[in-house]
Amino acid sequence: MEASSSSSAAAAPSLPPPHSLPTSSDQGVWADASPLLAAACRDLQDGELVHGENFSLFAAMSALEIMDPKMDSGIERSGYNSIEEAIEDGVAPVPLSLDRTVDVQRSIDVMDHLFSCEATWHKGHTLAQTVFTCIYLMRMERTSSHAVLNSFCRTLRATCNGVISVVSTARTHEEEDLFTMSFGLPLRDEQDDKCLSILNSVEETISRQLRACKAQALSKKKTLEDLESLQDKPDLEEDYCRALLCRLRFRKHFYHVVMSMRKPHGRGLELARKHVASCLNELSLMLKSREFLKSQSNIMLQDDENCTTASGCQPVGFDVSLNSRLLSPTPPRAVKVLSWSNAIRYFEKLLHDLDVICALSLDPVLENVLHFIVQFQKSVPDLVPRAFLQTLLVQDGKLYGQNLFSDVISRALSLPDIIGDKEFQMNEFVVQLGQLVINLLKILCTNTAWQRRKLGKSLQDWSTISIQLELALKREFGETRNVLHHENMCMRVSKQLLIWTQEHAYWVASRFLTLGFELDLYSPGEYCMVYWYMYVVFTKLIEKMQLRVLASNETSRRKGKKKKDHSKDSARDMTFSSSCLLLQCYVLLSEGLSMMLAVLRNESRSCQLPSIFNTEQERFMQHFDLLQKARVPEHISYYSFKESSSRAGITDLVKYNFFKEIQKITPSLRGSFASEPEKLVELRRIEQVAEHNRIALNIISQVGPGDPSLRISFEFTHHPHFAVAIVKRS
Amino acid sequence: MEGSSVPSQAIPVSEDYYCNRSSAPADAAGSSSPAVAKLRKLLFRQMLIGVNDGRYFLGLFHCIDKQGNIILQDAVEYRSARHSSPPTEQRCLGLILIPAACRSSCQVDCSIEEKMSLLCLE
Repeated sequence: MEASSSSSAAAAPSLPPPHSLPTSSDQGVWADASPLLAAACRDLQDGELVHGENFSLFAAMSALEIMDPKMDSGIERSGYNSIEEAIEDGVAPVPLSLDRTVDVQRSIDVMDHLFSCEATWHKGHTLAQTVFTCIYLMRMERTSSHAVLNSFCRTLRATCNGVISVVSTARTHEEEDLFTMSFGLPLRDEQDDKCLSILNSVEETISRQLRACKAQALSKKKTLEDLESLQDKPDLEEDYCRALLCRLRFRKHFYHVVMSMRKPHGRGLELARKHVASCLNELSLMLKSREFLKSQSNIMLQDDENCTTASGCQPVGFDVSLNSRLLSPTPPRAVKVLSWSNAIRYFEKLLHDLDVICALSLDPVLENVLHFIVQFQKSVPDLVPRAFLQTLLVQDGKLYGQNLFSDVISRALSLPDIIGDKEFQMNEFVVQLGQLVINLLKILCTNTAWQRRKLGKSLQDWSTISIQLELALKREFGETRNVLHHENMCMRVSKQLLIWTQEHAYWVASRFLTLGFELDLYSPGEYCMVYWYMYVVFTKLIEKMQLRVLASNETSRRKGKKKKDHSKDSARDMTFSSSCLLLQCYVLLSEGLSMMLAVLRNESRSCQLPSIFNTEQERFMQHFDLLQKARVPEHISYYSFKESSSRAGITDLVKYNFFKEIQKITPSLRGSFASEPEKLVELRRIEQVAEHNRIALNIISQVGPGDPSLRISFEFTHHPHFAVAIVKRS
Repeated sequence: MEGSSVPSQAIPVSEDYYCNRSSAPADAAGSSSPAVAKLRKLLFRQMLIGVNDGRYFLGLFHCIDKQGNIILQDAVEYRSARHSSPPTEQRCLGLILIPAACRSSCQVDCSIEEKMSLLCLE
């Protein structure tokens, strides 16, 4: 019953097949077809194929090519056919060495490499090719005698499991669906629930040993008999204890972070935050231990940039190719494991991002939630923190798992008395809008490219609902516009809902447009139309915002509020007016930039960009097709842009200096944003863009935009979305 | 007729593909040698192909070109692993292309009588 090995199969082409393989028919035998194949191939014409009726060349192109290193994941590489073979060959010994000092050293290397693998996995590779290249992790039961390694691996595995469940719940992994695939790996067993208790007892033993070492160093005593040492070299004991402890503690705290953040209703956030702080502390201790570990490793195998362990040694117990077959039939991807120092950096960023999420106040005001996500996304968080944020925001179809989205909407409409109102909650528009808001929150948690695409598509839904609302409003209440006194509650709610919906459609559109800058989707020749469209969208956004606030003021006045509410109202008005003014700055910046670019195009030959491949109108459609289809805003087309830009002239532009206008607004905003540092930063950026562009505009008008020596370029040095003109004369 | 042949086509194996393209156009009628006719009869049969690194692929014979590159349908990969049970590890791959260069053996499933007739071709 011996299957033929590779060498013999190659040597004897017509060897009988291995007995373990099935034959298809009962009476069938395997007949050697090689001579027939050879003869037939000789007779075939060049380019001729022998195939059946169902053959299509196109489908044949997708066949997996065997022995192609880029396609065939089953290709023989390591020489081990199974984990057992590798183990038998001594790839993953337990204990890792008979020399106890070396055993500790190697254990630390395994931990470090696993740490790098975990970061690589988070960055979007498969679990099978990263963390689970570790044979100790694949055969957990083997390490049961090695408490240190066993507890570490179990906790790591349980953490991976927790992270997978968060990411697959959030489904923020977009294209990287590889992240959650487990390929039938041994992801958990019953003992994983106890992983913490084992880890705690190991930690306790080592920390006792560390204390003993310290005490011994103080009292200069020779040995401490009652405690079992970690390894055999007493002078190294303390450092090894420290190196192990910080690694074990990091695992423990990180496990707690993941578990606490998964608690419903954000109940574990406060606790998670404490563990995040502990994790960061242990990370710094891990970095500190590096010097000692390096000094103890005699062989330097890897240079710092590729080295996946703190000591610089190659870890034992890993085999990259063992799992590659599990990934079938996907083409094998080469995975480069992050270096240990990069992994530390990754985890630092991850923990900082998680800390930001944990500090979230569970504020039910939608505007603040949206602002928070946008702000959070500015730091370009990776997949894992984005998934955590999303699962926190949307749980069981409720905001933070506690607020119905219908209530979130009614709060946004400033209609507190309909919060919890059953009729409002059941209203089909409110239900649909609630779903749209859920989608919006989920989309905002995805990566920038995916987010932009989805936002663009969701615009259609927003506009459909606002059209339906408008129609319903007309149907129910007719065209009568001047019946303010007899307006009933229902009509007021409908009107406000409409305005709110439109406002959010414009908000989505503005985010869609600005994300294009972050993704480098616009070429300088298109800035003019992009800023023009942004100007239009921002203007509409302000308009809807003002309408909404006006309407809600109306409501509160109508109700004859008590005096104590007035202070609350004025505070709200303050925040409203400041956010309106901030928007006004964006309007002015966009309009100013768009006009400046239009003037340059109209009056300077150097700035006229030739379009070889497509016309300006085609490019307009390519960029704004989704907005146009959703009619955001209505009655806006390429021709409206063409008309307004063709009229732009330098004299008008200088007369109505948009950038100067901004500088009039910003001082008053500075005061109202005093308590919000990130808004102050934004304000500072706006001021810088305005100032630079104002100066640039002055120079251009002095020289004359038609001057051939003028060289103008645009750079995003001060703001990611608003360019600064750089003027040079050649 | 089942198993019609289409001229000017070859299974696109990395390097052979382009060589083929540049070669002279094939006779539109296709070959009709007895060997080719016999081979055509084997289409859709179970075929077991061994490759250089010791693996076997079992699948339905789907296509072959002049260079001897074979496409199998619904193929399963078998590899011998000393320690796993059952002793051969298998996984489904679907449509695969086995380049002639790495093919070390090729067998078809047939009755004993057929086996004789296959042999008698030589």
